[in-house]
Amino acid sequence: MELATAAPNNRRWLGSAVYYVFFAVMAVLVFVPILLVLFGSFKTNAELADTSPFSWPANLLNFDNYVTAYKEGNMLRGLTNTAILVAASMAGNAVLGTMTAYIVNRFDFRLKKAILALFMLAMMIPSYTTEIARFQLIHGMNLYNTLYGPLLIYVGTDIMQIYIYTQFLRKISEQLDESAMLDGASYFRIFRSIVFPLLLPATATLAILKSVAIMNDIYVQMLYMPSKKLATLPTALMSFVGDRTSDLTALCAGIVLVLLPSALIYILFQRLIFKGLMDGAIKG
Amino acid sequence: MSYKLQKKVVIFSFLLVPVGLMLFFLLYPTAQLFRYSFTNWDGFSPSLKYIGFDNYTKLLFDFPDAWRAIRNNGLYFVIHTLFIPIELIAAVLLNRAMRGSGFFRFTVLMPYIINGIAVAYMFSYIYNPINGPLNESLRALGLGSWITGWLSDLGVVNYALIAVSIWRFGGVHVILMLAGLQSIPKDLYEAAEIDGASFWQQLRHITLPGIRTTMEIVLFMNVTGALLQYDIPYVMTGGGPGTASSTFGLFSLQTAFTYNNYGLASSMAVSLLILIIVFSSLQNWIIKDRSEA
Repeated sequence: MELATAAPNNRRWLGSAVYYVFFAVMAVLVFVPILLVLFGSFKTNAELADTSPFSWPANLLNFDNYVTAYKEGNMLRGLTNTAILVAASMAGNAVLGTMTAYIVNRFDFRLKKAILALFMLAMMIPSYTTEIARFQLIHGMNLYNTLYGPLLIYVGTDIMQIYIYTQFLRKISEQLDESAMLDGASYFRIFRSIVFPLLLPATATLAILKSVAIMNDIYVQMLYMPSKKLATLPTALMSFVGDRTSDLTALCAGIVLVLLPSALIYILFQRLIFKGLMDGAIKG
Repeated sequence: MSYKLQKKVVIFSFLLVPVGLMLFFLLYPTAQLFRYSFTNWDGFSPSLKYIGFDNYTKLLFDFPDAWRAIRNNGLYFVIHTLFIPIELIAAVLLNRAMRGSGFFRFTVLMPYIINGIAVAYMFSYIYNPINGPLNESLRALGLGSWITGWLSDLGVVNYALIAVSIWRFGGVHVILMLAGLQSIPKDLYEAAEIDGASFWQQLRHITLPGIRTTMEIVLFMNVTGALLQYDIPYVMTGGGPGTASSTFGLFSLQTAFTYNNYGLASSMAVSLLILIIVFSSLQNWIIKDRSEA
């Protein structure tokens, strides 16, 4: 009798042990590099050279490196430009994405098949591969070294967004639309007062995922906006590092400054981020 | 306005901008890319000459650097693929309700969300040859003989970069697989338990079919991620030493904008496009559901 109950208990105990060892190792691998950079950012360069990288900084109030990174690294401008790009793309995507999904899901019309086929084709093309040719286009439109180039690309080439909106709209019953039509509401009105608000939860998740994608992108930003005035957080960090390769502690502070906004967004919006990723993963 | 007329107006006005943007910024450049790939254009001259398949011939037979770059992409793909079983185990473990599982979920996904460029520089610091944390830890562990120039040693540099890529992208795979696992109804397992199905039978007949859609997405991300990888080598090594750690995407970019060989770069981009479509269809075909056939 005793043995019979002891065996499952042992197995459960072993299971927990495996679980915690596995994730403890993982947490160490994730957090230690970040912690080391944080340590480095509070040290002086002499201190960094003399002490172990794992040692606690002598003065935790030493913000000199942050001041250097903030001033010479153009970080405020980077943050502003990144914020503008993120906000404008979010707005553009939300409006255009819901509009397209509304038409594609609720209406039948000539050319619908052709337009859907075009969207399918466009979705298969990884955006980055066409950048070489798109560069000429942006250049020809005199949008080189403006915020508009990247903005148009972020808004205009994100077909996935339209696809996900359409998936969401499919699950929203058309009865509301129909009863609004009985009351004589116009299609514009139905879109504005029914469809767009009902898609807001989808918009929230898509917007947060889009902002993460834009904050992580350098390809478009460095290609189309090399001007210092148009530096974004990541491109500002890149030129800051290029300017002072040997100043490791300032580099650490710069890294922390660029990590900070994205970490903050992650902490604030974890729920939305998980929901967005996980919903996308099972709908396919 | 009648609904019939309204319908026309609304369809036209709502689709005009999105379809226009797609045609203009996605499909038109793609067509142009194919066109450039058959020319010797340098990117700025007013004239260009059509040279047939010369760029593709050069790419295939006379361009060892490009081949090395695509081999590096292959290495990213292989090592990332080897990690998929580990990621699946992590997802299975994470699917259990345990104390702290919320925190571990948070930790797993964090590397994917925080700024990737800052992460790349963070690892440049970790790999730093003088007093770098990695070398310091090796010394402390008595493995001083392993110390090397992680980003300058030709035999090591790619693995050092791929480790960063695993750090950044491993977690998002885990979370996607977790989503697949959570979408499987619990009563399927209970029923199987009652029927006396073993753990492996449950894995084979419930879990794996249940996460097929998710695995398709993960594998697709894996292929496109490996083939399009450019920012980690760009930031950390610039593709160097020489072109040793370049990837195909990075190399095509340099071919276009550094060496002004637009035609050749376009043929590289076209090849990459085709490779991605072929490989992801191939993978989907391999794990396709054949149970009805």
